[in-house]
Amino acid sequence: MAFCLSGFRSFPKLWKNNLSLGSGPANSLFCAGHCAFRSQQRWLCLTTVSPQNTNATNLLIAKTRYGRKKDEGNNKQAASDSHLFAAGAAKKRSQMNPSNKDPIPPSQRNSMQLPTKPLTSEEWEKLKEDYKGRANFETWISAQLTHQRSSVNVAKSLLAWAAAKNNGIVSYDLLVKYLYLCIFHEQTSEIIDVYEIMKARYKILEQGGYTLLIRGLILADRWREALLLLEDVKKVMVPSKKNYDDCIRGAFLHQDVNTAWKLYQELLGYNLIPMLETLKAFFDFGKDIKDDQYANKLQDILLYLRNNQCYPGESFAHSIKTWFESIPGEQWKGQFTTIQKSGQCLSCGKMLESIYLTPEEYEFLKENIMRNVIDGGDQYKKTTPKELTRFQNFVKNCAPFDIVIDGLNVAKMFPRARESQFLLDVVTHLANQNLRLLVLGRKHMLTPGSRWKKDEMEKVQRQASCFFADNISKDDPFLLYATLHSGNHCKFITKDLMRDHKACLPDAKTQRLFFKWQQGHQLAIISRFPGSKITFQHVLRYDTVVQTTGDSWHIPYDEDQVERYSYEVPNKWLCLHRKT
Amino acid sequence: MPVLLKMSVSLTFLRRPFARFFMPFTLQRKRRDLHSIILQRSMSYKTPAVSYPNKENTSSPDELQLDAWKTTMKSSVQGVSTVSSSTDEDPVAATKELIEVWRLLGKEVPEHISEEDLRVIMENTSKTSKKKYLKYLYTKEKLRKAKQVKKEMKAAAREEAKKDQLLETPEEGTQRNFLFLRLWDRSMSSAVGWKGAQAMQFGQPLVFDMAYDSHMKPKELQNSVSQLLESEGCNRRDVDPFHLYFCNLKTDSNSHTELVKRYKEKWDKLLLTTTDKSYVDLFPKGNIIYLTADSPNVMTTFKHDKIYIIGSFVDKNMQPGTSLANAKRLKLATECLPLDKYLQWETGTKNLTLDQMMRILLCLKNTGSWEEALKFVPRRKHTGYLDISQHSEAFSKHLKNSKTNNVFSKALSVRTKKLA
Repeated sequence: MAFCLSGFRSFPKLWKNNLSLGSGPANSLFCAGHCAFRSQQRWLCLTTVSPQNTNATNLLIAKTRYGRKKDEGNNKQAASDSHLFAAGAAKKRSQMNPSNKDPIPPSQRNSMQLPTKPLTSEEWEKLKEDYKGRANFETWISAQLTHQRSSVNVAKSLLAWAAAKNNGIVSYDLLVKYLYLCIFHEQTSEIIDVYEIMKARYKILEQGGYTLLIRGLILADRWREALLLLEDVKKVMVPSKKNYDDCIRGAFLHQDVNTAWKLYQELLGYNLIPMLETLKAFFDFGKDIKDDQYANKLQDILLYLRNNQCYPGESFAHSIKTWFESIPGEQWKGQFTTIQKSGQCLSCGKMLESIYLTPEEYEFLKENIMRNVIDGGDQYKKTTPKELTRFQNFVKNCAPFDIVIDGLNVAKMFPRARESQFLLDVVTHLANQNLRLLVLGRKHMLTPGSRWKKDEMEKVQRQASCFFADNISKDDPFLLYATLHSGNHCKFITKDLMRDHKACLPDAKTQRLFFKWQQGHQLAIISRFPGSKITFQHVLRYDTVVQTTGDSWHIPYDEDQVERYSYEVPNKWLCLHRKT
Repeated sequence: MPVLLKMSVSLTFLRRPFARFFMPFTLQRKRRDLHSIILQRSMSYKTPAVSYPNKENTSSPDELQLDAWKTTMKSSVQGVSTVSSSTDEDPVAATKELIEVWRLLGKEVPEHISEEDLRVIMENTSKTSKKKYLKYLYTKEKLRKAKQVKKEMKAAAREEAKKDQLLETPEEGTQRNFLFLRLWDRSMSSAVGWKGAQAMQFGQPLVFDMAYDSHMKPKELQNSVSQLLESEGCNRRDVDPFHLYFCNLKTDSNSHTELVKRYKEKWDKLLLTTTDKSYVDLFPKGNIIYLTADSPNVMTTFKHDKIYIIGSFVDKNMQPGTSLANAKRLKLATECLPLDKYLQWETGTKNLTLDQMMRILLCLKNTGSWEEALKFVPRRKHTGYLDISQHSEAFSKHLKNSKTNNVFSKALSVRTKKLA
């Protein structure tokens, strides 16, 4: 158990790749990933859950769906000291977090039964007398009705009562909540009625009201008015991507393809990132359309996914597959697969795109790292100009390195082991492979003490080139610079994910470039004990991105049951190729 | 018609005189126009018998009863909507109305909004920034209202007291002997002024570095100026004030205008030195110590011959190392407060506000005791004092014991480890 635990602790810090399977004993436990798709449950691993455990897991799913945000911290804490997928772990976790229990239904808390059928005015009056909350009764009860998704008629009777009390006027918030219920129960005529009322009564609504109206109207025949509402939203604010999603769906529902594309372009024009569901809708609709232009546009969407490093979800991947297979005369064949370590697709045998950057990209990244991460407008923040020139001269003089080591990060990997000892182990291990090494550190490492032995540091300096920065300088930028300067073959060793440095880069494109480079060049030690043989995390050879060679497409996708962190990449692929 | 009867009964107690006549109308959908007129005239009595037992309603009375509010909602509004539709394409008016709708929804937006604030909101590009600013205005409005209420209550109480006094005074009316005229505030301020002048001549310099204008947003700048005002006030009231310097304060820079705006005509009479020169030009470099939380060096004692520099910088935007970079550039000594050494730190950044720094430094100057000085660190940030002196005493005692008494040595060394 403890063994697995230590493995788990270090593991999520590195991006997953499925192909490292078996390189360490703990890996097999995590083969399906320790993460779950964001909108799904948090901690769930399909392959390792034994049948008798599913009950507990389901319970956990139900629990985590509620108040997930609030309990996130707790969950993590709990997870860190018990093996996640062990039998009973879910139960243990729920016991450890008393706050994680199912929220007490509000009706119970207020000891009030929500009505299940329409009430008369007297009955509402009576209910109001029983109510002892602080909020306004009408507001509260309508919120409860909405929350419990009560039937429309109950809400309607509430509105009738409220209106009768208030000169026939229903307040805006009640109307909005009623509208929500109507949409939930898809009561089109009611939606239209509320729409008429709102239109008559209020000249302008707020975002929430508009969103609900749009969502409601697209179901009805008067869906074009939803587009007018969208225009109204634009007057004051940028519509949300959900607004566009609704409108595009409405257009598809009523077979208006041109409007859908127009809206999609508008959405991109606002620099919003479309919801994957929106894109999926295009593919779903495309099945019935045999039109080259439409097909081209769908390929543009795939290229959009590529350029923005978006990964479709599982159902989206299925939609893409069915669309490709539905193209007449082209005979596409789709398969869900994984990619070998070498970068070969298991299904069609093609090699995937290399993770290495093109020379232009490489130069661009190098330039950007220098300008934004190390310099950053103020050289004194991370280092000093004097030190920087000293370092640049040092790198220039020593020929390119094969591996750059973050001395402090490596040395502090095991709190039990002595720093200099472990650093020496790693350096010796690598030096035996005839690699040119650079160890980066800080000056304090040279002052002998109980943690840094002088003779061991001398041995390190004999086997590798060393550079010691000032104690108050940051060493990571030096690491990046030295690695980039040495060339494409050079790798670096650290467990640091470099997210803070990534954040220093100016735009998303450069950040993605950095991430790609990082995936291909960062080595991480996955030894679990100071004494054990030093092994490294496998480095990806291929780029995980939507890619095509004309007659084949390879599309990575997120599985529904797996939550992926932003610094990880999916390991499932959809392989599409044309039969010739 | 049990349902209809019930309904009319329920309404009777609301507006008794009309209910009976009003109800049938709302029930009948076809006569919408008529209803509106009737409703707007607040329900005339004239047409009571039009449709009492309505034949159309009998089929589904329940449904119709539920829909009644819709007709009134639609009809009662027609007059309103025509009035307000004149300002249709104006984004400012639209924003104003949006805010109004938000308020109806119970969102945190202000009730009244000035043109200038509206302009700021229009300028904010993102949804979040708009909402944030509206919330800020909302809390501001709430505070102002609460203050107003309090003020009124106080005024009322004062009136009351005055009345009581008026009743009493004629009875007393005796002359009394006093040593002083009542001039406390004025004499206080003149005494403080004397002390300040003395500090200008002989006081230890304390520098506020005003070189961070470009790093701060307007809100942060305002906060930093407030903190400066507060610290200046603290210094003024102290027994032995510092001689304050505002260095790098360019005329017409943002902080300068803000300071002048806040101090008004008092600005030119302040007993402190303002200069656009840097502290390195005024003082020997060797004597300067830049105080910054990022410093690797910990302040052990307050030195009376050094010139301490505090950066006038409120950093809500997380730009760590800015002041340290400044000190590094000028090759100055840096120090940070020994917060970790004395306090059990819990939450919050180690960056303290300017006035807290001021109070701590003043206290150190006068007493030299860290425990006393660090009382000005906000209580929410730490759980309590670490007992250093006792710890180290206990530690050395244990060492002595272990030397002299072999039996205890093992147990004691274990304990000391735990302590360490």
